[in-house]
Amino acid sequence: MRGADYVIKRTAFAIVTVFIAVSINFVLFRLAPGSAVSNFSRVPHSTPETRLAIKKQFGLDKSRGEQYVLYLKQLARGNLGVSFANAQPVSSNLRTALLNTLPMVFLGTLFAIVVGTLTGVIAAWRRGTGVEGASVGSALAFYSMPTHWLGLMLVILFTGVLPTGGMSNDFLINPSFWTHLKDLASHIVLPSLTLGLVLYGEYTLIVRSAMLETLGEDYILTARAKGLKPWAIVRRHALRNAMLPIATLVALSLGYVVAGAILIETVFSWPGIGRAVYQAVLQRDYPMLQGAFLVLTVSVVFFNLLADLLYFKLDPRITQ
Amino acid sequence: MTDALLRTEDLHVWFDLPRGGTLHAVQGVSLRLDPGERLGLVGESGCGKTTTALALMGLLPPNASVAGQVLLSGEDILAGAEETMRPHRWVDVAMVFQGAMNAFNPVKTVGSQIVEALELHDRATGRAARVRTGELLASVGIPKDRAERYPHEFSGGMRQRAAIAMALACEPSVLIADEPTTALDVMVQAQILELLDALCRDFGLALLLVTHDLPVVAQLCDRAAVMYAGELVEQGSVDELFHEPRHPYTRLLFAATADLYGNGIPVSIPGAPPRLDREIDGCPFRPRCDRAFSRCEHDRPLLREVASAHAAACHLNDVAAVAAR
Amino acid sequence: MSVVLHEPGAVAEPEPDRARGGLVWETIRRKPTAVIGLVVLALIVAAAVLAPWLAPYDLHTPAGPVFEPPSWQHPLGLDDGGIDVVTLLMWGARISLVVGFAATLVSMLIGGTIGVLAGYSGGKVDGSLMRVTDYFLVIPDVPLMIIVAAIWGPSLFHIVIVIGILLWTSTARVIRAQVKSVRERVYVKRAHALGAGHTRIVLRHVLPQVAPLLIANTVLTIAVAVFDETALAFLGLGDPSRVSLGKMIENAFQRAAISSGAWWAIVPPGVLVALIILSCSLIGQALEDALNPRLRVAHLSAHGFRLRPLVGRKEGAL
Repeated sequence: MRGADYVIKRTAFAIVTVFIAVSINFVLFRLAPGSAVSNFSRVPHSTPETRLAIKKQFGLDKSRGEQYVLYLKQLARGNLGVSFANAQPVSSNLRTALLNTLPMVFLGTLFAIVVGTLTGVIAAWRRGTGVEGASVGSALAFYSMPTHWLGLMLVILFTGVLPTGGMSNDFLINPSFWTHLKDLASHIVLPSLTLGLVLYGEYTLIVRSAMLETLGEDYILTARAKGLKPWAIVRRHALRNAMLPIATLVALSLGYVVAGAILIETVFSWPGIGRAVYQAVLQRDYPMLQGAFLVLTVSVVFFNLLADLLYFKLDPRITQ
Repeated sequence: MTDALLRTEDLHVWFDLPRGGTLHAVQGVSLRLDPGERLGLVGESGCGKTTTALALMGLLPPNASVAGQVLLSGEDILAGAEETMRPHRWVDVAMVFQGAMNAFNPVKTVGSQIVEALELHDRATGRAARVRTGELLASVGIPKDRAERYPHEFSGGMRQRAAIAMALACEPSVLIADEPTTALDVMVQAQILELLDALCRDFGLALLLVTHDLPVVAQLCDRAAVMYAGELVEQGSVDELFHEPRHPYTRLLFAATADLYGNGIPVSIPGAPPRLDREIDGCPFRPRCDRAFSRCEHDRPLLREVASAHAAACHLNDVAAVAAR
Repeated sequence: MSVVLHEPGAVAEPEPDRARGGLVWETIRRKPTAVIGLVVLALIVAAAVLAPWLAPYDLHTPAGPVFEPPSWQHPLGLDDGGIDVVTLLMWGARISLVVGFAATLVSMLIGGTIGVLAGYSGGKVDGSLMRVTDYFLVIPDVPLMIIVAAIWGPSLFHIVIVIGILLWTSTARVIRAQVKSVRERVYVKRAHALGAGHTRIVLRHVLPQVAPLLIANTVLTIAVAVFDETALAFLGLGDPSRVSLGKMIENAFQRAAISSGAWWAIVPPGVLVALIILSCSLIGQALEDALNPRLRVAHLSAHGFRLRPLVGRKEGAL
């Protein structure tokens, strides 16, 4: 089969990356000033008994190597520890949070990809005109705004028009399914729009330069010589090839999506994984922080792998 | 004069340079190509020969501006720029590009790109188009089943053959080949030239061969036109140009290529062509010419008939002027 | 086959060392957007550097009531502590820019070293260094920064180091690719054949060639570092003892500037951050565009070639 090697290689890369992230995670928290236990004991009301229990629970009486193996074993079972803040397993806390984050991030990214591709293509197509200037200018403007600040600006603009905090209206009592959905939809608009606008700026710039590079390729000249009309050339020849670098760069921007999610969820009190990170920072809830970092890394690596496989599907030249 | 198949009349092309200023790349070129005729357009790189070829199909980039006429069977197809050019592309005039490495879109099969040309110009659709593509590939010596392959799976020579097959898809009357053999190794070059030769004969194609390779012109063409610094400096039959050149540049160019059969020691012409982003005073070749005289300094020579079907742009052909110097 | 827009008579082999340094300046000068970027950035840097002399009020003494709206005395009003916002902006920009420049310096040193080392030595060293870079490129940096900052505790120095050691990947890749191509050029090989040492070759031949892209990359990294500082500060991980632009946004957010209607406490710092990032991006983009040879040719564009009426002499047609 064509490129089975490629798929295996990329998957292996993804697995190794996750492994490295896991190890960084382990090392970082061991490098922390004081041990995990002394950090924990900063939390008020911890008794010596709890401390001892924790020490045993985390296996801190064992050697570093053994600790690492123990850590990996627990991880493999999905055990990310227990949150300091609410004494719930970190994994179940994160699962709820992740499920809340995904639709918000998905809508924002979708908006960015659609609008960004459109304006990027138009900018490249209208190279050297005012249209390009306007398109690149507004893209750069949104790209330059700090994500959370843009969110706050939207809050100022839309207060009273759209809900600016939380995921649903807690005062709706026993709403019907449709009312609940409408309520959710109205809450998701601003956070998603914030992410969408920031990413749209970045994507426009990426798509524009990818398109410009493609329009300089020789096969575009061939297509013109064949008598194809300009838009047909863009549709049939340019866009498909421009999608290749776009796929990679969109994947690389996922790290940025994650950063955006943390800031946006903080602004809009969206009960997702980003807000979980924020609250873990405020409460110095290290197990939550560690777990959230792991979940975020794994999802970025996963979507990167997805982009790699998409690239493989789009480009017949990849064979090895 | 009867209407030629393809003719240019005082064709000029300028490029706006990214750093300001304009480059006068083609300066009043008038060429003609009769049905079934093979014309070689030769010159050093940067002399405007490729630009002339692209102008014939209206394939110039956005920073170009054009003046003059391109007449296809008497009709000025340049008059309406892109709009009047497009209907003739591939149908009447097709082109094979330099180094066909990148002439095909890498993410589409070679066959589908030939089918695209057939369907676009209503030559065949669907299954019939695929059958026709197979025939076209077979006619250039590529097995039919290769149509399903991607360009990167072809060798350089095969890709150039496929490009030729694609150019023939709509049975054009003129084929423009821009350095069709550059970047190919010698054996493959010979094969491609033979293929072009055979196809022109079999299909009655008129060929405009753009190249810097004089032996190739000698092998393939009836007539040749020599360009220097954006201008035509001499044109005539290949034989006459070789044996009786009437422009010093042609003479030196042929001397520089040693021998049409590849023997002898090549010599180079000292100096470099003039910059085309400023007005040239006098004869553009004067600084490099071994026989320049006072008149060449300020008086620009025009292309004049020097023998039947042989023209050159050189004051040396003005007997009275030479006698008077 | 493409239409090459070389100026005729230009020498094919570029001048090895001298020409490129001027290129950066030339490019910026020719692009109006880059000039705007440079001017705006220069103004902000000047205001930040001169803050101790130019700032109209004291940074620590309240100049009036909390959230006082803009007036002639205070063009941008007062913040949650009654401090003049213009004064805060100047001092804040100072810290933000220090973090931005210092973190960029750290990441340039790491990324530049790794890039030059990988590109110049090639082979196994290159392979393993790039593998490491690939892994780092995928790991999302902001969450990692948050963790490191949370563990180390908030301080300016920590923030600089954290941002710096997480931003080097793109620099390393860009530099490596450039170094690799420069290394293959004739004059570098010649210099090597003439017995020039590695350090000398890197300093005299490779660096001048890589410089324009390195500068473009630096400028873009500054933008990212300034953004990251703002993000960390917003999440409460900024240096609590100093005012940065990020800290100003955080303060306004925490102290309910929005619900108090005090837009002047929150809009200006964001605009200033956006201006810094925007001007860096404009300069960086202009340089990258100019340095990308693949953008020089366009075979297709909305407006095609133009027709010109013929003026001047006619030549005898054959």
